[in-house]
Amino acid sequence: MSDAKISSGLSRRMFMTASVSAAAVMPLVNSPTRAAQPASAKPAEPRDLSAVSMRINKQTYNLALDNRTSLLDALRDHVGLTGTKKGCDHGQCGACTVLIDGKRVLSCLSFAVMNQGREITTVEGLASAEGELHPVQKAFVDHDAFQCGYCTPGQIMSAIGCINEGHAGSEDDIREYMSGNLCRCAAYPNIVAAIVQARDETRRA
Amino acid sequence: MNQAAPAPRENQGDPVVRIDARLKVTGQAGYPADIVTANVAHGALATSSIARGKVSELHTKDARAVPGVLDIVTYGDLDKTDMPKFGNTGASSIGPLHDKTVFHDGQIIALVVAESFEAAEEAAMLIRADYEDERPSASFDSKGVKMEPAAGKSPMFKEDAKAGDFDAAWADATVKIDEKYSTPTQHHNPIELFSTTAMWQGDQLTIHEPSQNVTGWKVELARQLKLDQANVRIVSPYIGGAFGSKGPMTARTAIVAVAARRIGRPVRCVVNRMQAFGTQTYRAETRHRIRMGAGKDGRITAFGHEAWEVTSRPDPYVVGGTSATARMYNYGSVLTHVSLVHADRNTPGYMRSPPETPYVYALENAMDEMAVALGMDPVEFRRINEPEKEPIGGKPFSSRSLIKCYDQASEAFGWSKRDPTVGSMRDGDWLVGMGCATAIYPTAAAPCAARVRLTADGEVRVQCGSHEIGTGVRTIAGQMAAERLGVGMDKISVEMGDSALPPAPVSGGSISTASVCSAVMKACDAIREKLFAAAAGKGAPLAGSANAKLDLKDEEVVTETGKSAKLADVFKAMQVGAIEEYAEFAPKGSSPEALSKLYAGQSEFHGGENDEDSVKYAFGAEFVEVRINSYTREIRVPRIVGAFAAGRIMNTRTARSQLMGGMIWGIGQALHEATEIDQRHARYVNRDLQDYLVPVNADIKQVDVILVPEIDHQVNPAGVKGLGELGNVGTAAAVASAVYHATGKRIRDLPIRIDDLIG
Repeated sequence: MSDAKISSGLSRRMFMTASVSAAAVMPLVNSPTRAAQPASAKPAEPRDLSAVSMRINKQTYNLALDNRTSLLDALRDHVGLTGTKKGCDHGQCGACTVLIDGKRVLSCLSFAVMNQGREITTVEGLASAEGELHPVQKAFVDHDAFQCGYCTPGQIMSAIGCINEGHAGSEDDIREYMSGNLCRCAAYPNIVAAIVQARDETRRA
Repeated sequence: MNQAAPAPRENQGDPVVRIDARLKVTGQAGYPADIVTANVAHGALATSSIARGKVSELHTKDARAVPGVLDIVTYGDLDKTDMPKFGNTGASSIGPLHDKTVFHDGQIIALVVAESFEAAEEAAMLIRADYEDERPSASFDSKGVKMEPAAGKSPMFKEDAKAGDFDAAWADATVKIDEKYSTPTQHHNPIELFSTTAMWQGDQLTIHEPSQNVTGWKVELARQLKLDQANVRIVSPYIGGAFGSKGPMTARTAIVAVAARRIGRPVRCVVNRMQAFGTQTYRAETRHRIRMGAGKDGRITAFGHEAWEVTSRPDPYVVGGTSATARMYNYGSVLTHVSLVHADRNTPGYMRSPPETPYVYALENAMDEMAVALGMDPVEFRRINEPEKEPIGGKPFSSRSLIKCYDQASEAFGWSKRDPTVGSMRDGDWLVGMGCATAIYPTAAAPCAARVRLTADGEVRVQCGSHEIGTGVRTIAGQMAAERLGVGMDKISVEMGDSALPPAPVSGGSISTASVCSAVMKACDAIREKLFAAAAGKGAPLAGSANAKLDLKDEEVVTETGKSAKLADVFKAMQVGAIEEYAEFAPKGSSPEALSKLYAGQSEFHGGENDEDSVKYAFGAEFVEVRINSYTREIRVPRIVGAFAAGRIMNTRTARSQLMGGMIWGIGQALHEATEIDQRHARYVNRDLQDYLVPVNADIKQVDVILVPEIDHQVNPAGVKGLGELGNVGTAAAVASAVYHATGKRIRDLPIRIDDLIG
């Protein structure tokens, strides 16, 4: 860090590298103060910042991020959307599942800067503006498809992906295609029942 | 109604939807690492790469040179703090930065604090240590381990249970079993990562960390940091799975607090999955020798249970599950002995049914072996040995519905269709096996405080420093208040998981429902008394009615004869806007200082086998079908049925979910979970969720839970037995029994894997 004062922590200015196009409440986040590289510049050093613009839950975010920052950490630490959870950071548990351009992706395995121009949907973006739950969210409530609730955002995003992919045809299919999302409380039978209900509701709609 | 919401039977509450369900499906439930705070710095741990020896020199130059690094907390930086203590609140006596001694692999050697998570991780990886290393002892068979009798080494395990003359009975027994069993090392692996966020405001410290014991941690952290307890607050409103792992506080909490004070900024340290294996607790491996003697009539005459448990060098962590196995059946004589084996390992800790999971696994396996040796149906064998009184102290059971559980589960399972001949049931390429086992868990409660406020508009706020670890305790505390105060669940709010709230005991030992509900009930009853006195007073709406004949329903005070007065009118008559009551509950038999100990962060447990009047347990029976592919030996569990009796069930939805999750844990114990140890380096090998196997959705098919009605007024005022740890007891033995039935192979060492069944 070039600014030696930072180590004392006292003189440090709050510095926002994120800007939001819509009039959303800004989360209190911080990033190093160095200037951001445009994303199209020649291959950057890992520690450098790059500019990246993403649509997250239908809002545009312009961010300057460390090239090593995962999409998961960008959402949680830089955008302030903490509904998406970190359970392993290695793509092994599924808790960080989000939709990128409608497809389910493990956000811990995606560098944020790889998502320039993409449309990201997180659990916070599912319910309607009036507060009506998404059919999958409602089905998870109806079938008690969670206990501690920590893996739940990832399960819900993955369930939406699973239904959209057409992999929710049978209970066995659901079990197979939802096995990338661990639930240590082991609500699995309830998760399957919830996805069956949501699938049927989605088909009717 | 769907399967998740079973219709309540006698003494069972409605399947009310979780009070926090909406928050959990919308991502709004705030887990401790979710707290958004200005100016937060990120912490990353560096850990030892040896298991025994000393750090001779720590090299931090490269790490400090990483741009964005703010500080490195290491040896010497905690000198002004006190060492951690091992006990109910502290995970271990090892103070990793107080002393350069290395007690186990993966011990904390430094905490890096940086502007960003990425910089902190990069720098932590650049820290190098020189060691004076010694050859470590990894586990039971390693050279250099120290073995000692467990009895008396821990307040949790005072003595080895025994009864009658085992030696004589064993010598005389007609049919004998003498077998050895073992269970592996296991890590809780809740999906939420362990984390600490520390913030100072002057002398006031707030810690956001997933915790099952906020009051205990407040007291212990204040002691370590030499702070006034009033200046320490632990906040943990939602916990992403605990299973015991977030019960005791680890050394990290104080280290992160020190770092935050040094840099004058909040610090968040989210421990990566790999480092959690060595910096948190775990279930240690156990070994068992069971000797069982019986007569030809199937009556057990001799039961011997010897066991060995691994612990760390400095701490006598013991689970001692012989307390339960020795009281399970009507044995003629009992001899037990538990030994501790000290190795170069981190200190183990509570993991869901800490004593019962390994010990009852061994016992129930032996029961199945004995039934086979006797040529007897395993359910019938248990029925014959059903005790009137427990065999050690001769005390009655406060209630015991084990046979009812067996009857209801075996009928639902279709046990009568089982052909007992080994290997006789087959479906195409699949060998079919069926087995069963008993579940048992001690029923305990501990002192607990709660504050309840009712306002004239019928709104109720419940405050209690307990912990919502996924059990549904927030919901059932609300249900208890709704029932006693006659309001709908939509009028209830429940605050938990904050040491600023009235203190509650550690959320462990399946005591929360009983302890919290008893305290909430007491506070509500005090509010009722005030309302009734006012409603029936002179000139009041229901003047002249006897207090005892009044009740609260639909936001009205009602009389037996059908008269009623609106809550708002009673409040008006009282000329108050809110009635607030603070209640303290202490279980029967509590010491005179039990409640003051609650405020000092100590939970005095009562119940189980320790009460004078009776022994208190919840019971269950589990039946499992396994299918084993005759070519590949792949093991599947297509269905499992469990019937459980646990006194009053507050909410059939949350109860079923917990028992179902427990049974799936049991399947994991049987077939999946094991932490592998590199014996040369005393190091955990499979330190991630790819190689540490837990059940996934595709491993589980049909899971049926039967809630058997049971009424027990002796256990506690709420009549509740805990059930969070009941479901995964016995399951592994039921699976092992089914595997034997399918294949004729008796697997005594968990987990049961394909390679055990080949050849």
